[in-house]
Amino acid sequence: MRLDQQPAYVLHARPYRETSLLLECLTRDQGRLGVVARGVRRERARTPRSQLEPFQPLALDLLLRGELATLVAAESSGAPLRLTGDAGLAGLYLNELVVRLTGRQDPYPGLFDAYARTLPRLVETAELGWSLRRFERDLLEQLGYGLQLDAEADSGEPLDTAGWYRYEVERGPVRCPPGRGHALRGEDLLALAEDRRPSTQGLAALRMTMREVIRFYLGGGELRAWRVLAGAMTRR
Amino acid sequence: MSSSPLLAELIEALRCLPGVGGKSAQRMAFHLLERDRERGLRLAAALDAAMRRVGHCSRCRNFSEEPVCALCAGSGRDRHVLCVVESPTDLAAIEQATGYRGQYFVLLGRLSPLDGMGPEELGLGLLTQRLTEGEIEEMIIATNPTVEGEATAHYLAQLARAGGVKPTRLAHGVPLGGELEYVDRGTLAHAFGSRQVL
Repeated sequence: MRLDQQPAYVLHARPYRETSLLLECLTRDQGRLGVVARGVRRERARTPRSQLEPFQPLALDLLLRGELATLVAAESSGAPLRLTGDAGLAGLYLNELVVRLTGRQDPYPGLFDAYARTLPRLVETAELGWSLRRFERDLLEQLGYGLQLDAEADSGEPLDTAGWYRYEVERGPVRCPPGRGHALRGEDLLALAEDRRPSTQGLAALRMTMREVIRFYLGGGELRAWRVLAGAMTRR
Repeated sequence: MSSSPLLAELIEALRCLPGVGGKSAQRMAFHLLERDRERGLRLAAALDAAMRRVGHCSRCRNFSEEPVCALCAGSGRDRHVLCVVESPTDLAAIEQATGYRGQYFVLLGRLSPLDGMGPEELGLGLLTQRLTEGEIEEMIIATNPTVEGEATAHYLAQLARAGGVKPTRLAHGVPLGGELEYVDRGTLAHAFGSRQVL
């Protein structure tokens, strides 16, 4: 199968053979694809290496046969996003999250748009945490692991905005004593559901809650980017 | 295919070199056996010695057979400047191209979660230790201008500031002798953004 002018982002690139790259790409219609880009590490390659960096909106011509796709042509379809400083680290986290949680050639309609929406947010706002939580929520939704954020687990009763909850994976918000562990206010869960920025304390608790959820779907594993982000944040 | 198992093994072993496939490996093996046995033995001895004895310098992580490499131990280098590079080849490139007289630190990689490269793998504990020794005043961050290299540079700059060291970054821009028309968008945007007063 041939894909022409497929909107895509490179998530990761690693050297392959002498002059080629093995790319992990997020495409709009085919989800994540492993793509062999032949000869792009040569000095005078037709598609320069710099064009295949992450965070650049691309239009790819691909030949899909078996497990891996082959890159036929790549052109940039917009100005590259410059994710500098902490936004760059957040971007690497985003990419690891997508690669670790999605399978190759599993098209998730909407994942590409969610990713493409998030990158400019990382560039434009200082609210990296909030942008990442929104993406995590959308990613889980796309994967079919959508969070239940507006009703209590089991009973299905609407959340009490002033009540305290902890989020149980695959169940939902369960009442708990205030301020314990990763306890969340009902209003913060509702804010995430309605795409409003939660309170600052709420964001911190949501970050830990999301980690638990993600760890569960990784099968108990850790994301490397967590350690990188932790190192970068402790020196503030 | 071959009547000699030793020859077959030599050919197979040579294929571990970059750019060497089955055919080149065979040519190399035949060349050494047919007309250059003496230098073949020298190659074998050098390879054996290097593989066994070359390790990493305990101060800069560059290749070294001593616990501390000549660059770190030498008195002729400026101890107040530290240049951080991704690999020993980058170090060699800077040594050859510039008149830099300071010291180095080799990361042996870059921050890349998907390649399993985090702060520990890059020896950043050792780097932090060197920064706190108090001799270093400037840290030149010479990681590659890739997404991962930039993220690494950002992380390193924070380390330097925390240790009271001034972080600086290699400039990137239009290559010498280049023409603006043919420079890629990203590089041109960067060069434009970091223009200098004349």
